[in-house]
Formats: sequence, C-alpha cells, structure tokens
Amino acid sequence: MSRFLFPRWSNLLLPTIILAATTIPVYALFFVAYGFSPKTLDVGYQPTQVVPYSHALHAGELGLDCRYCHISVEKAAHASVPATQTCMNCHTLIRPDSPKLAKVKESFTTGLPVQWTRIHKLPEYAYFNHSAHVSRGIGCVSCHGRIDKMEIVYQNSPLSMGWCIECHRNPDVNLRPTSEITNLAFDGTTELSVDERAVLKDKFHIKPSDDCSTCHR
Amino acid sequence: MISLPPRWMLFAGVLATLALAVPPFVIARVRATPDSNRAVHLFFDMDFQPKFRPQSANPLFADGRAQRTAVAGTVARGEAGLDTHLSEGVVGGKWADTLPASMPVTRELLERGQGRFNIYCSACHGYGGYGDGTVNVRAMTLMSSSDGPANGTSWVQAKSLHDPIVRDHAVGMIFNVATNGIRTMSGYGAQIDVADRWAIAAYVKTLQLSQNASMQSVPPELRDRIKKEVK
Ligand code: HEC
Ligand code: HEC
Ligand code: HEC
Ligand code: HEC
Ligand code: HEC
Ligand code: HEC
Repeated sequence: MSRFLFPRWSNLLLPTIILAATTIPVYALFFVAYGFSPKTLDVGYQPTQVVPYSHALHAGELGLDCRYCHISVEKAAHASVPATQTCMNCHTLIRPDSPKLAKVKESFTTGLPVQWTRIHKLPEYAYFNHSAHVSRGIGCVSCHGRIDKMEIVYQNSPLSMGWCIECHRNPDVNLRPTSEITNLAFDGTTELSVDERAVLKDKFHIKPSDDCSTCHR
Repeated sequence: MISLPPRWMLFAGVLATLALAVPPFVIARVRATPDSNRAVHLFFDMDFQPKFRPQSANPLFADGRAQRTAVAGTVARGEAGLDTHLSEGVVGGKWADTLPASMPVTRELLERGQGRFNIYCSACHGYGGYGDGTVNVRAMTLMSSSDGPANGTSWVQAKSLHDPIVRDHAVGMIFNVATNGIRTMSGYGAQIDVADRWAIAAYVKTLQLSQNASMQSVPPELRDRIKKEVK
C-alpha cells in the first residue's frame, strides 16, 4: 500500500493562503466602497430625451438665464421643467417646422405634456428644497455642474446623504452673491476672498443644519 | 531551491490574479462614461412611495398629469382681475400712467425690475433694450440665410424699446405687452408673476429715460462727472 505524500511544493500553500487572506478582504472592501458608491452608480445618468433639447445652445450660446425656463426655482422646493408654451415663445417663429421640434409642436396642439425623462431624483423619503438654497447664495453649478456646456443633461453629483452633509457642514466655499446664482462660470473660491464669503454667510444667516429632521420630515 | 507546483496550477493562479484587475477597470470605466440607464435598485427601501410629486405622471388621468390644471371657466379666489389697473394696466379705459397703489416706486422695485428684465426680456430686446439680444441676432441670421429661412422661420425684428413709438407707451401698456404679448411677441403672464411684471414695466420706463435724457435732467452737482465719464 502506497502512502500519500504531500508534494514538496505544497510548502508554498501556507504563504499563499496568508497572502490571500490579507489581500482579499482589502480588495473586497475597495470593491464595495469604490464600485457601489453613488459616485459610480448614480453620477453620469444621462437618458436620451424625446426632444433633442440642448442646454449648451440655449443656456450657453444664447445665454438664456436658467430662470427663464425653470421659473419656480427661487420660490418653491421644486424647480419646474418648463411648459410647452415657454418653448413656443420663440419656436412659433424660430424653426417651427424642424423635425427636432415635432414633439413640442404636437404637445402644443394637443395640450398633452412633453414626456421629459426625469434625471435628478432623490429617494422619496428625503426632502429637498431649491428655494432654500438658491435664495441663500448656493448656485446651480454647485449641485448640477456646468449645465450650460451639456448638449444632453447628465447627473453631475452623487446626491447622496454624505454629499448633502458635506456641504451643510462646510457651506462657506460654495457661497456667492445672489446675482451670480445662475452664472455657472462664476467660481466663488477664486473670485471671492475668504472675508467676502464670511460677509455673505452673515448676510444670509447661513447655519445649515445636519439634524435628521431637516431632510427626513 | 523551491520546487514549483505543476504548470497548470501556476497558470490558473496567474489567471485568477489577473482577473482581479478586471473589476477596477470596469468600475473606472463606468465612472468615466455617462450611462443612459438608471442604477438598478436592489433594495427599494422607501425610495418609491405611492404619492405624487410635482410634475410627475398619473396614468389615471387622460392627459397623464398628476398635477391638475384648473377646470375651464373657473376663477380662483382673488384672481378675477376686477382691479383692471393691477391686472391689465388699464384705468378708466386708458393705459395707466402710474403703478398700482400697492406698489410704490422705490430703488428696490427698479432693481428687481432690472433683474427680471435681464432674465426674461434681454434675450430678444438686449440688455440695453435696443433689440439686439442674442436670440434676436441668431433669428435674424436664420432669416437672411442664403437658401431661405430654415424650417419655416418667420422672425420679426424685436422692437427697440427706444423707438419713439414705444417710448411714448404708458407704463400700463408696457405692463400689458409683458403680460399678453403684442403681434408676434408672446405674453409672459404665465412665467412672471404680476408684481414682477410691474417692476419690469417700471424698469423699462427708467431705461427709456436713461437712453433719452438731456443734461437738464441731471442734478447740477453730477454734471461734471457725467461729462468726464460719458463720451
Ligand atoms: C430654454 C429653456 C431652458 C433653459 C434656459 C434652461 N433649461 Fe434646464 N431644462 C429645460 C428642459 C426642457 C429640461 C428637461 C429636458 C432635459 O433634461 O434636457 C431641463 C432640464 C434641466 C435639468 C435636469 C432636470 C432633471 O430631470 O433632473 C437641470 C438640472 C437643469 N435643466 C438645469 C438648468 C440650469 C442650471 C440652467 C441655467 C444655466 C437651465 N437649466 C436653463 C429647459 C431649460
Ligand atoms: C428665447 C428663445 C428660445 C426659447 C424659449 C427656446 N428656444 Fe429652442 N432655439 C432657439 C434658437 C435661437 C435656436 C437656434 C436656431 C438655429 O440657429 O438653428 C433654437 C434651437 C432649438 C432646437 C434645434 C432646432 C434645429 O432644428 O436645429 C431645438 C430642438 C430646440 N431649440 C428646442 C427647444 C425647446 C424644447 C424649448 C423649450 C424648453 C426651447 N427650444 C426654447 C431659441 C429658443
Ligand atoms: C443644493 C443643491 C442644488 C442646487 C444649488 C440646485 N439644485 Fe436643482 N436639484 C437638486 C436636487 C437634489 C434635485 C432632485 C430633487 C428631487 O428629487 O426632489 C434637483 C432637481 C432639479 C431639477 C428637476 C426638477 C426638480 O425640482 O426635481 C431642475 C430642473 C433643477 N434641479 C434645476 C436647478 C436650477 C436651475 C438651479 C439653480 C438656479 C438648481 N437646480 C440648483 C439640487 C440642487
Ligand atoms: C453646496 C452646498 C449644499 C449642498 C450640496 C446641499 N445643501 Fe442644503 N443647504 C445649504 C445651505 C447653505 C442651506 C441654508 C442654511 C440655513 O438655512 O442656514 C441649506 C439648507 C437646507 C435645508 C433647510 C431648509 C429649511 O427649511 O431650513 C434643507 C431641507 C436642505 N438644505 C436639504 C438638502 C439636501 C437633501 C441636500 C442633498 C440632496 C442638500 N441640502 C445639499 C447648502 C447645501
Ligand atoms: C442634508 C440632508 C440630510 C440630513 C441632515 C440627514 N439625511 Fe439621511 N439622507 C439624506 C438623503 C438625500 C438620503 C438619500 C441618499 C441616497 O440617495 O442614497 C438619505 C438617506 C438616509 C438613509 C438611508 C436609507 C436607505 O435605505 O438607504 C438613512 C438610514 C438616513 N438617511 C438616516 C439619517 C439620520 C439618522 C440622520 C440624522 C443623523 C440623517 N439621515 C440626516 C439626507 C439627509
Ligand atoms: C422671444 C423674444 C422676445 C422676448 C423674450 C421679449 N420680447 Fe418684446 N418683442 C419681441 C418682438 C419680436 C417684438 C416686435 C413684435 C412685432 O412687431 O411683431 C417685441 C415688441 C415689444 C414691445 C413693443 C410693442 C410695440 O408697441 O411695438 C415692447 C414694449 C416689448 N416687446 C416689451 C417686452 C418686455 C417687457 C419683455 C420681457 C417681459 C419682452 N418684450 C420680451 C420679442 C421678444
């Protein structure tokens, strides 16, 4: 009867196992933290819209102010997406027969809304309010990025709780005068001194809360 | 010398190690590129609740709107427009020359008007009101393109607000144009609320005055400065 002998190379098993046992948890941790972070999963969501509407053209090149279309952003929690009439202010006269505008024209004649696909969306247990931010010196660019350079809008920020809290604990760097709210090229960190920002903070009485009930109400 | 395991085992080991490098690459790619699909929801928690948010859809209604519009022919309280001065800019059948009594003309009001004018009117009329806004310029080039106006474009030059006819408009008429539009210009009654439209009208009158002023209307102590700074 022959006895089973472990081959000599099996001496290598022990160091290999130790190596694997130390690196694999680190790897798994990295995988979850990096791969499942909202920065990976949620940022960059860019659905194709039914109308090839371009912010780069309207807000960038033509320089339309955000509030021309998103009329309720300073007054309400919700920043409304414009009604068809708003587009027709110009497009009854500008390229009314363009195939790219067919859906808008159809909506205008039938009275049914254009079916825009929603991009930014918080879970429905979280409360967010645009006017609280926009009228207190936080510009669109801090949360939505350079919309005026986007042909098609995509989500620029993770919109995770950590991201909200990060700014609520240190809002100073994002403050700007209310006149520059929709000026996406304005960078408060380079164009305002620390003192100027402190003055703004005083003026708007900024003291963002991180109580749970602020956002979970 | 250490003895090595069989070839196939080494090979499998190297492959497995290399395979570990794939996920980081995939993740880095996902991060760097936009995606037309929303992230998959494994755990719903309370992310989606049986309630309607502004501008969301409700398939129960024929027009699909969860937010209902007013029933045709109804008037909300306080919106009957009985005060024609406030809602139409008309007093006793004539264009009003003053703002409604509830709105005293102050510096704040004019500054508000300036801000709102720059948002809603400057695209066509230009910041100075000369009818040279970006949209007007773009539309006029479309009109004069060599193979005829593209896609049925039929733009009319946005009127200069310093045109003598427009300069003679009463503030009430400017308000009415901002509300209901005029000829090819659409109205902004739905986009701008009533107080802001009055602020805009007041600012337009101010702008007209500023572009058509004589030295007599400048306070004497400021005349030297004007001569130095304005050419
Ligand atoms: C001419 C009208 C118009 C102007 C001006 C405009 N937008 Fe929009 N915006 C739209 C329309 C229509 C949509 C919906 C379609 C889409 O997502 O592209 C939209 C969508 C958006 C969205 C995404 C909404 C969602 O579904 O999550 C953001 C964010 C946004 N706009 C920000 C801005 C900002 C910031 C500016 C100013 C720089 C601006 N918009 C100027 C018309 C406009
Ligand atoms: C203030 C005026 C204005 C408003 C409001 C406006 N647009 Fe435009 N739009 C323009 C101009 C100017 C162009 C460029 C036309 C050109 O030179 O080709 C344009 C071009 C377009 C085009 C490309 C047309 C083509 O055939 O190339 C689309 C699509 C479009 N707009 C969609 C929209 C939608 C949707 C809205 C409403 C949310 C809207 N626009 C509101 C002025 C406007
Ligand atoms: C503090 C961050 C922040 C700022 C500043 C901000 N937004 Fe938003 N925006 C959000 C979030 C978060 C959502 C998603 C809201 C939700 O799901 O309820 C959103 C959604 C939107 C939408 C989609 C409609 C809606 O209200 O859900 C539009 C349009 C929009 N923003 C435009 C703007 C414009 C224009 C500005 C600047 C005037 C602006 N936002 C400034 C965070 C911000
Ligand atoms: C770029 C900075 C910034 C970001 C990002 C931000 N906030 Fe804020 N938030 C502020 C500031 C500044 C205030 C005003 C603070 C104050 O009232 O003192 C505020 C106030 C609020 C308020 C209080 C409004 C009230 O009624 O008092 C709520 C609710 C809120 N934020 C929710 C959110 C949520 C939810 C997010 C993430 C989706 C978010 N914020 C992201 C800066 C930010
Ligand atoms: C500035 C606003 C804000 C504040 C303050 C805040 N939250 Fe949140 N919270 C959010 C947002 C936004 C989300 C959704 C993030 C996402 O999309 O994953 C969230 C998500 C959560 C979730 C995750 C739910 C899930 O199923 O994934 C929990 C739990 C939670 N919050 C608890 C708390 C508690 C406890 C506090 C107080 C210590 C708190 N939050 C304070 C904004 C806030
Ligand atoms: C989409 C471009 C556009 C915008 C935005 C716009 N206008 Fe006009 N406006 C026009 C055009 C075009 C005319 C000339 C109409 C015609 O002669 O058919 C005009 C004419 C006028 C006139 C002259 C009326 C007359 O008697 O001839 C006034 C006053 C006026 N606009 C005021 C405003 C005010 C106030 C706003 C902002 C609330 C505004 N407009 C926004 C395009 C625009």
